[in-house]
Amino acid sequence: MNRARQFGTLIGLVGLCFVLWILTPYFLTVSNLLNVAEQTSINAIVAVGMTFVILSGGIDLSVGSIVALAGVVLGLALHDDRSLGVALTLTLGAGAACGIVNGILVSLGGLPPFIVTLGTMSIVRGAALLVTEGRPISGFASSFRVLATGRAGFIPAPVIATATVYLIASLVLTRTTFGRYVYAIGGNEEATRLSGVAVRFHKTMIYGVSGVMSAIAAVILTARLNSAQPIAGMMYELDAIAATVIGGTSLMGGEGTLAGTLVGALIMGVLRNGLNLLGVSSFLQQIVIGGVIVVAVLLDTVLKRKHRG
Amino acid sequence: MTAQPPVLEMRGIRKAFPGVVALDGVDLSLHAGEVHMLLGENGAGKSTLMKILSGAYRRDDGEILIHGARVDIEGPADALARGIRVIYQELTLVPQLSVAENIFLGALPARRLGIVDRRALHARTARLLDDLSLAIEPRTRVSRLGLAQRQMVEIAKALATDSDGGPAATVLVMDEPTSALTNREVKQLFGLIHRLASRGVAIVYITHRMDEVFRIGERVTVLRDGRVVATHALNEVTVSELVRMMANRDVAEHFPKVQVPRGPELLRVERLSRAGALDDISFTLYAGEVLGVAGLLGAGRTELARAIAGADRFDSGHLYLSGAAATLKSPADAIKRGIGLLPEDRKAEGLVAGLTVTRNVALPHGRRLAKLGVLSPRGEEKLARPLSDELRIKATRTQPVRLLSGGNQQKVVLAKWLAGGVRVFIFDEPTRGVDVGAKVEIYNLMNRLTAEGAGIIMISSELPELLGMSDRILVMHHGRIHTTLERDAANEERVVSAALGLDGGTPGQPTPDGAAG
Repeated sequence: MNRARQFGTLIGLVGLCFVLWILTPYFLTVSNLLNVAEQTSINAIVAVGMTFVILSGGIDLSVGSIVALAGVVLGLALHDDRSLGVALTLTLGAGAACGIVNGILVSLGGLPPFIVTLGTMSIVRGAALLVTEGRPISGFASSFRVLATGRAGFIPAPVIATATVYLIASLVLTRTTFGRYVYAIGGNEEATRLSGVAVRFHKTMIYGVSGVMSAIAAVILTARLNSAQPIAGMMYELDAIAATVIGGTSLMGGEGTLAGTLVGALIMGVLRNGLNLLGVSSFLQQIVIGGVIVVAVLLDTVLKRKHRG
Repeated sequence: MTAQPPVLEMRGIRKAFPGVVALDGVDLSLHAGEVHMLLGENGAGKSTLMKILSGAYRRDDGEILIHGARVDIEGPADALARGIRVIYQELTLVPQLSVAENIFLGALPARRLGIVDRRALHARTARLLDDLSLAIEPRTRVSRLGLAQRQMVEIAKALATDSDGGPAATVLVMDEPTSALTNREVKQLFGLIHRLASRGVAIVYITHRMDEVFRIGERVTVLRDGRVVATHALNEVTVSELVRMMANRDVAEHFPKVQVPRGPELLRVERLSRAGALDDISFTLYAGEVLGVAGLLGAGRTELARAIAGADRFDSGHLYLSGAAATLKSPADAIKRGIGLLPEDRKAEGLVAGLTVTRNVALPHGRRLAKLGVLSPRGEEKLARPLSDELRIKATRTQPVRLLSGGNQQKVVLAKWLAGGVRVFIFDEPTRGVDVGAKVEIYNLMNRLTAEGAGIIMISSELPELLGMSDRILVMHHGRIHTTLERDAANEERVVSAALGLDGGTPGQPTPDGAAG
């Protein structure tokens, strides 16, 4: 059933590509497709963390703010003449720390994830603005910018990074105890606790994963823009949630796959790209994308109902 | 009664799901005013049949006649309009709302601007409850009612359209309505069922309890593997005949108890207390014994189980495992020390519905099965296969447990704790909602466990089971251990009087009796 659902989303993506190809032949050129993949990479990576969190029955609204703060940490570290390795470690550490704070408030504090991450969304954003006094940190060495501009053969570095993240995260989700507990906690938290699983610890770590994913996205974003901006990542949480949900992950937790999320992110990326190519106004784009989200979830619900009946 | 045409007739009903034929040509006819028992093991097709009746499923083949006319039940609303009411095992009331609001939830009487007409609502509810001779106050919040009363409200809700000029209920289906009720509550419920039947409502009653079958049923239909084995008037058959029809194998003894010599002390509980739930509980569990725990709902039995299993904190008291003091801060701690809990509510606490059989069984053993956090599917399978074979779990191990019947789900929860390491088993209502055949399998399993030196604490609301399987019985009352009965001294009367808090039941109060709570 889950597989059929994923297949459906994939068919949607292929169908969308086909329509765009007919409307604008340029869509299906290698350079444009690579462009789409590159533009999708940031949302796709943030959506990995979101998928972990949603699978466990939670939600993380703070991802966009964490992208901004992690980017600022990265920018400061690089301007401070730290080595790239140290700067990246600090960046990922900052993301992890933000996520773990979310996780602790959710699991030990027993607060609803929506409220916790709504709060930290504002706190983390404020911290990023405070540290930078609202100004972007720009101009980095090309040895760093190669993380976004570099290519292996003809494949852009961000696409390689995305593929690597998805590969590792999929293995974690399907092949490790941690991944199993993500599904189990989302499916039935109390039964999982009574099975002797350290639920609080794992929940904390799940939000930590989300924070790290946001930090990875921040690295790519900062390298691409050649600038770390405290106002970066606005609305990323909504894009990530949309990709996850279009990809078939249940907001109730316990059901979903990363492959679905990747397809969901690609649908959004392709749609944006196609609408741009067609010269559709950005105002209208918002309406179309919102419509696609609702239709995707509607189809999902209808299909599931049929299967049950 | 049999001379009248049936109120409802199902002929040759067939329903298949991918891979399974759930119903294969089932006939069932219901007469006005009869209480028709529906029996069958888990997976026999009872639930599917009732879901077709309630409109939740569409039949693949066969026909349904109401008052002799062929009909198509197109959905739940259509079933309601045709006078069919179904009360499922899981209650569907909203606890935060009042009795009246729940009963008329779909049709609240309103004045202009959608303001609820409370006076009309309460009057109508009072009339309905009065009509059913139920002493429940319409304004009471459902969360403040006991389970039996909620059950009654559920029935009232099902019948509500009656007094409303809507379609009258002609068929009422009840799926194991007594599984959570005490004996006295069961009596109330049966009174209500009799009153309904005497008004001509045909009642389909699904149960696993043989005593109930004979107490209130007039006719019985036995299902097995999606087919009707037989329909009989209940004065024509015996319990053992029915059991044989259901199981197709003789369950020679209902309680195949094997007594094992008492071994060393496994678990000692001293002066365990939790405000409002447990009051100064002390007892000892020995290897090789089944320690039954009796008591009414709310006596603290489940609270005791959860406290020992590390699921809930307690205020004071001590636990000793094989003589050594143990602090259990979490279920993980308890499991590490060899305590496994089979929780009362398996859906809410025992299983992750979306995970497969194998993965549920392997869930407590993740750490042991994984190398550096990486799970091997083969390792999980190797753990789950022998257990699911031994317990005869009738399902593919790659099926989500959501799709399994109640008895099979319970076996999956059991399998979780059999994979090793557990010496103290706490079974909270191990056979609730489980069919006769599976019950015997669970009893045999308990025998095997005690023979291997484990100790079992078995909480049960079924007296025959407690008396049949326990070596000793603790009877709880208001959070305290009221009496402890040895197997030879235990009988139904003594357990019941102790559970009610009555004195003069039995000699022997081995527990230190602290200050009154």
